[in-house]
Amino acid sequence: MYNINVRGVLIEGNKRYHDITRDVTNPILTNKTPLWWWITAFLASGMLVWGIWGFYNTITVGTGTWGLNNSVSWGWAIINFVWWIGIGHAGTAFSIFLLVLHQKWRTSINRAAEAMTIFAVMAAGMFPLIHMGRIWNGFFVFPYPNTRGPLWDNFNSPLFWDVMAISTYLTASFLFWYVGMMPDFATIRERTTSKIKKKIYNILSFGWVGSARGWLRFEAAALLMGGLTAPLVVSVHSIVATDFAAGVVPGWHSTIFPPFFVVGAIFSGFAMVLTMMIIVRKVYKYEEYVTQRHLDAIARVLTFVSLIMGVAYISEIFIAWYSDSPYEMFVFFKNRTAGEYAYSYWAMITFNALMPQLFWFKKIRQNITIVFIISIFINVGMWYERFVIVVTSLSKTWLPSTWHGYSPTATEIAIYVGTIGFFILGLLAFLRFLPMMAISELKGINKETSMITEKPENHE
Amino acid sequence: MNNQNQILGVFDDPDVVTNAVKVLLKNDVKVKDVFSPFPLEHVWDLLKLKTRIPYATFIYGAVGTSSVFAFLYWTSVISYPLTFGGKPHNSLSFVVLMFVLTILSGVIFTLATLLIREKMWPGKKVTLPDSRSMDDKFVIVIDKNKDMDEATVKKIDELLMKSGAVEVNGSNV
Repeated sequence: MYNINVRGVLIEGNKRYHDITRDVTNPILTNKTPLWWWITAFLASGMLVWGIWGFYNTITVGTGTWGLNNSVSWGWAIINFVWWIGIGHAGTAFSIFLLVLHQKWRTSINRAAEAMTIFAVMAAGMFPLIHMGRIWNGFFVFPYPNTRGPLWDNFNSPLFWDVMAISTYLTASFLFWYVGMMPDFATIRERTTSKIKKKIYNILSFGWVGSARGWLRFEAAALLMGGLTAPLVVSVHSIVATDFAAGVVPGWHSTIFPPFFVVGAIFSGFAMVLTMMIIVRKVYKYEEYVTQRHLDAIARVLTFVSLIMGVAYISEIFIAWYSDSPYEMFVFFKNRTAGEYAYSYWAMITFNALMPQLFWFKKIRQNITIVFIISIFINVGMWYERFVIVVTSLSKTWLPSTWHGYSPTATEIAIYVGTIGFFILGLLAFLRFLPMMAISELKGINKETSMITEKPENHE
Repeated sequence: MNNQNQILGVFDDPDVVTNAVKVLLKNDVKVKDVFSPFPLEHVWDLLKLKTRIPYATFIYGAVGTSSVFAFLYWTSVISYPLTFGGKPHNSLSFVVLMFVLTILSGVIFTLATLLIREKMWPGKKVTLPDSRSMDDKFVIVIDKNKDMDEATVKKIDELLMKSGAVEVNGSNV
């Protein structure tokens, strides 16, 4: 049985079941779209339009419009790809790891975290596509019987594994997210008075009725789908890490990469969840659902993961020294910590390993503004981590004659900003049209964790 | 109410409804179904409901693993063996793709099984016995048999009221 005294109630305000239905569905059922929504959507569309210009530029002219060169052949595109994939690990980490660990505080956050995953992974997927240069030949990545032999893909290449792992991750996360929403769509269908909405949400709900047998099968299937998807959190980013670790570039060729990347992904994902939930609870006045304690719990997870990140950074430096390889020593002691991109290295250390340690203090964890600022800094820090890995290593490899600097062009910046716009637009659509909290799950935990049933005078 | 063929007991608390199911079953009343806004685990046990979806998922996973291996073996060993670095054609690293695609086939077919077994599809027309079961009510559905006389029906109604129902209604759905 859940111990109420340890964590306090999960849903404040002694909500009845009907209150939960009302609070979550009202923003969807109202016909008035709030002004902030239109303003944000307008700004995000502007970003997306600029991104489309970047895409157009790249497709019509080629990757020559980017700041890449023979030495630094992976630039912002790969940095942003890994960054988005990292953010995309939040949803599954939230829904499934915490589900397995019986952490019931996940219920008011997991739906939004999963939505974030979907849009972040879609944003990530754009980068490998556009990085091909000749995007119209993109279908070459799939193994299909062809007229070239048939010459198959290289099934031992991490790049091909990436194609499979990420498309699997996107599909599985989407299906898991959607299945979880079916009962909530049915709730909206029964509640709405508009005929059109009833029709739309009935289509979306697949005719869910909530019978005993239905719930049994639903729970079994959802748990299995979740349990199957959980290992993907580990495998997707391990495979992304192998893209680097399988290359013989100093600073990349290291066995620490897969676990280091997985932890980093969960770190950035949780930070983005924190950023988003702080905004959402404020805008939608969901302070009773996403309570101070929820934010506190995420902050604690971040403190712990930040320690792991710190240990990973230190062990990279230690192994470079311990290996006695002059190239590895150069990467860590000269290039990264003191070279021309040293600012990015120290930004990474400060934002990822040091700053989250402030969460040890209760006063800081309880100050939402500071928590929000730190969560933004973690997102920036994780971007710098990918910058450090990609650019510092590639710009100075084995031969000094191949050393070359790198700075992004307007096209690369446009594509990055465009994906941020896409991500924001996706989230806005989610907040407006889909149930942003799992209504049925909230009701499921309400009585045992939050409801005060002994005092009937508290009801309504 | 008497010419309707179902009795609906409407409750507003998950524990009370579970207890009511227990009481009804003890009195040899056949409970047809319980509609609830969220899963009630104890009701499944009481109604002796079981699902075989986990076994099905295991099979989907196994089929996924073996078919992916078969495909990789066919392409890399039979159809177009490509030798590089003296490495074996039948490579250990196939494990990565087998792992990933096992998960994919497991997830997709488990969902398909759920939809098929529950007979769900987009736009299916449904009528709930009591639409409040999607909001805050828990509804026990009991079928009225032809040989059920007035007294039995009354007894069931009383049992429902006694075990804490807020309403007892009839329905044709």
